[in-house]
Amino acid sequence: MLKITLDYVPASSNASFLMIKQTEVTSRAEYLPFFYVHVYSSIFALIAGFIAVFFDKNLKYLHRFFGRIYIVCTLLLSSLSGIYIGVFANGGWTAKVSFVVLGILWFYTTYKSYTEIRKRNIQQHQFWMWRSYALALSAITLRMWKVILVYLFHPNPMDVYQIIAWLGWVPNLLLVEYLIKKHKT
Amino acid sequence: MKSINLIFASLFLSVVVISCKKEEKLNNQVKSDSVTSKKEVEQEFHKELYGIYSGDFNTKPTSSEYNNGIEEYKKISVKIKRITKDSIYGYSVVNGNQRPFRGILNENTMDFILDEPGNDKSDGRFQLKMKKDSLIGDWIAFNKTSVKSPEKIVKLTRKEFVYNPNFMLSKDTSEDSDYDNPVDWNDGKAKKNTYVNSDGETEVSELTFYRSASDNVFKINASKQKLTEKDLKNLRKLDLQIIRNTVFARHGYSFKKETYRQFFENADWYVPVSNNVDADLSPLEKENVALLARFEKYAEDHYDTFGR
Repeated sequence: MLKITLDYVPASSNASFLMIKQTEVTSRAEYLPFFYVHVYSSIFALIAGFIAVFFDKNLKYLHRFFGRIYIVCTLLLSSLSGIYIGVFANGGWTAKVSFVVLGILWFYTTYKSYTEIRKRNIQQHQFWMWRSYALALSAITLRMWKVILVYLFHPNPMDVYQIIAWLGWVPNLLLVEYLIKKHKT
Repeated sequence: MKSINLIFASLFLSVVVISCKKEEKLNNQVKSDSVTSKKEVEQEFHKELYGIYSGDFNTKPTSSEYNNGIEEYKKISVKIKRITKDSIYGYSVVNGNQRPFRGILNENTMDFILDEPGNDKSDGRFQLKMKKDSLIGDWIAFNKTSVKSPEKIVKLTRKEFVYNPNFMLSKDTSEDSDYDNPVDWNDGKAKKNTYVNSDGETEVSELTFYRSASDNVFKINASKQKLTEKDLKNLRKLDLQIIRNTVFARHGYSFKKETYRQFFENADWYVPVSNNVDADLSPLEKENVALLARFEKYAEDHYDTFGR
């Protein structure tokens, strides 16, 4: 993931994925800033989220420090910019709906988790954060599914894109709901 | 104006001088003075033979002593550009290798002997005979050890090359082909399949997979319509490559890469005439070619890797 982010350093208007996004880049002045906000903030959200989720009890300072970074990155930067670029996503409305819904859910679950911890409701905070991070991990699972599908079926690029747009986060969410249910009982 | 006057003067003089041997000295003097301008008006003959002759360039079956059993089947185009009193000028192009030649024409027998310059290892001599609209004969390399098959049979027919943006590849509906769409036979990927047979033994079978193009290569014309990113996003690399190179094929580009030659050599409209047609592209074609090249690069770098 870090390597993918580093493809965009230094920032340029036609690096990597932007090679096939020149219509948006040239016709919408705000596209590029939103895109780069998403790319640069998301890598921090992914790393900070990983530390906060897996070091939740034993190292409280670490958990709180990285938890705050995750909340700020996700709520203010990554999810909102994600919703914006989702509106202009490749793959037609199938993919656009998926990315916009994903963005909204990511924002909502993260916000919920934040309000629960403000109320010192640790159990609910944990569950909501699991959901939030499961959605954040779609950045990785989506790309993973792509490699698998392309290897197996050699589909056309946008056909695979419409599939991974949904496959990237729906199974993640289902899995985490299953874990929550198991945890409760 | 001065040079034109000079040309007329020299022409006039040469006419006068031919009938008057005494003044031969003077004539030679004028000739050397106006050697550059004289070249341009040197009388040309048989202009009706000028043009492009295109066809087969295949290994001679009888020349097994040199070619070690290697048989090559290539397409060649020969362009006759100028025929003067004592020389014939033009070039040949094979697989993107364009070579000038100079030779002689026997007007009585219509025999052509055309020599390539000899400074390339693949240069040689054509000996051709004109029969109606076809040129038939052979080609023999100057250096027989430097090329795979030094003796070739040449069979050419006269072709008119005219650029037309409407030319497209069309579906191969011939009966001897199992595939309607273009397949890249030149670039297969071997995959190994391991399976356990009925005796419980593990067997490995190897299959080669070839890329095949979609119907889009028959529909998207990069010489006529302004292509957008939206038009190209769902295309795979081979489609993009074919659509882009169809532009060059229409302009008579002689492809260096076998991958592209195989798609166009069977199209009846395709006449390779040059190894560089960049200057002939229309502004629309240039834009589309740049866009297509960008998408090819993206497909190459990202299609099957971890990323978007």
